[in-house]
Amino acid sequence: MLLTMFLLGLLYVALVGAMFAAGANGVMIAVIAVGLAVFQLFSSDKLALRAMGGREVTPAEAPELHAMIERLCIQADLPKPKIAVAQTDMPNAFALGRSQKSATVCATTGIMNTLTPAELEGVMAHELSHVKNRDVMIMTIASFFASIAAMVMQFGFFFGGGGDDDDNPSMLVLFLVSIVVYVVSFFLMMALSRYREFVADRGAALMTGRPSALASALQKIASGMHRLPEQDLRVAKEMQAFYIFPAGAKGAVMGLFSTHPPMDKRIEALSRIEGELQRGTLAAA
Amino acid sequence: MGFFDALLGGGKKLKGPAPDRLFAMSTAYVTLDTGNGIRTKGTAAIVFQPLATADFESIVSEMEELLQGTGADTGTTIETSDDEHGYRWMVLRDDDIEDLVVAVNAVSDALAVGGYGDRVLAAVFAFADSKDRRVYFIYNYKRGSWYPFVPKGGHERDGERELQIKAIIGNELPIEPELERWFPLWGIPI
Repeated sequence: MLLTMFLLGLLYVALVGAMFAAGANGVMIAVIAVGLAVFQLFSSDKLALRAMGGREVTPAEAPELHAMIERLCIQADLPKPKIAVAQTDMPNAFALGRSQKSATVCATTGIMNTLTPAELEGVMAHELSHVKNRDVMIMTIASFFASIAAMVMQFGFFFGGGGDDDDNPSMLVLFLVSIVVYVVSFFLMMALSRYREFVADRGAALMTGRPSALASALQKIASGMHRLPEQDLRVAKEMQAFYIFPAGAKGAVMGLFSTHPPMDKRIEALSRIEGELQRGTLAAA
Repeated sequence: MGFFDALLGGGKKLKGPAPDRLFAMSTAYVTLDTGNGIRTKGTAAIVFQPLATADFESIVSEMEELLQGTGADTGTTIETSDDEHGYRWMVLRDDDIEDLVVAVNAVSDALAVGGYGDRVLAAVFAFADSKDRRVYFIYNYKRGSWYPFVPKGGHERDGERELQIKAIIGNELPIEPELERWFPLWGIPI
């Protein structure tokens, strides 16, 4: 995983270098992109929660969910996040927020009705692991340069192809570099996201001491996912990175493009963790 | 947490218990009693996540036997129950609060020696004030700190009373400084 991050870093350095080579235009793009990224970081969780139809619930409205998460927070030594519920039959859960203190975890009514309390606890522990590992922040930063590259590409389409001569060759180089950066960083980000899903599964298993409950939850969610209508899946598309399980994932065929590892591999990994737990070697891992 | 831990997704282990400040209760209860009328109900409990492994079960049953053995001398009785969240409560009864503290410590020690110190969630001591309202003191093992918990029926808590109690006892018990970590425990079986 360090290699992946190293490669990501290398790409970004190359991109920034190319921007400086292109002169003031590149710097201006960077300033705009930074502004957008900051805006995204500070406002996206509220927007995303609203897009999903999630609504914050008080302890009186969802006493069981609150009590469950409070205990997990003691166990994981986390401050209590905001807790939201989305009224949809799609069984899912996700975590939002740039820091541990401003985090929100959301469960759908679908997942709360589908899973047993122990399974739901595993899923919420998975989301709390995302919060604990600051995954939202890390993925936002990781996608930051990819979005700069995307902006440069669009910029290039609008202004780069205008002239019929090559009076600014560095602009063309920048455009090409940006395409490469965008494509490669896309795949690296997917790999990073998949890795962090495994880490969050492991964190959840440690938090609850019940890896098999999470495995059983994943099985249920995955089998439920495929029976749902397309519209629901598309509504959910933009937020897949922080779902417990991405809506509409068709399995290993999507391998490289997928933000989440295939469910079979996650369940397999969880059963290895259960093995460690039974042998008493889990804490040493 | 270091930089690389953050990059690679955090520490691989659950946080273990913080330095032990459980025994602060064996002196603080005097202040609660004299002048403030907050008296022990003679019950305490320790709550932990039971693991479904042979090793864990044998440690727990050995510990129970041990406690029943020492309980014959001190008069401490012990019973266990599992709650709806899958946590196990070991309820200890003894009119002497110092014996209760020792017994709670024996449970958490036995789990820690077995390598399961990170499974302990909290210890709870039950008190009643002069109006016979229940006042709980919860000890968070992860943070090594105490906080009061006064449930009001339903899932409501009496925040004002909790803060009053903090003011009364704050000098003697290491009280959790972050109020948002005063996690309630609903349905405490003592």
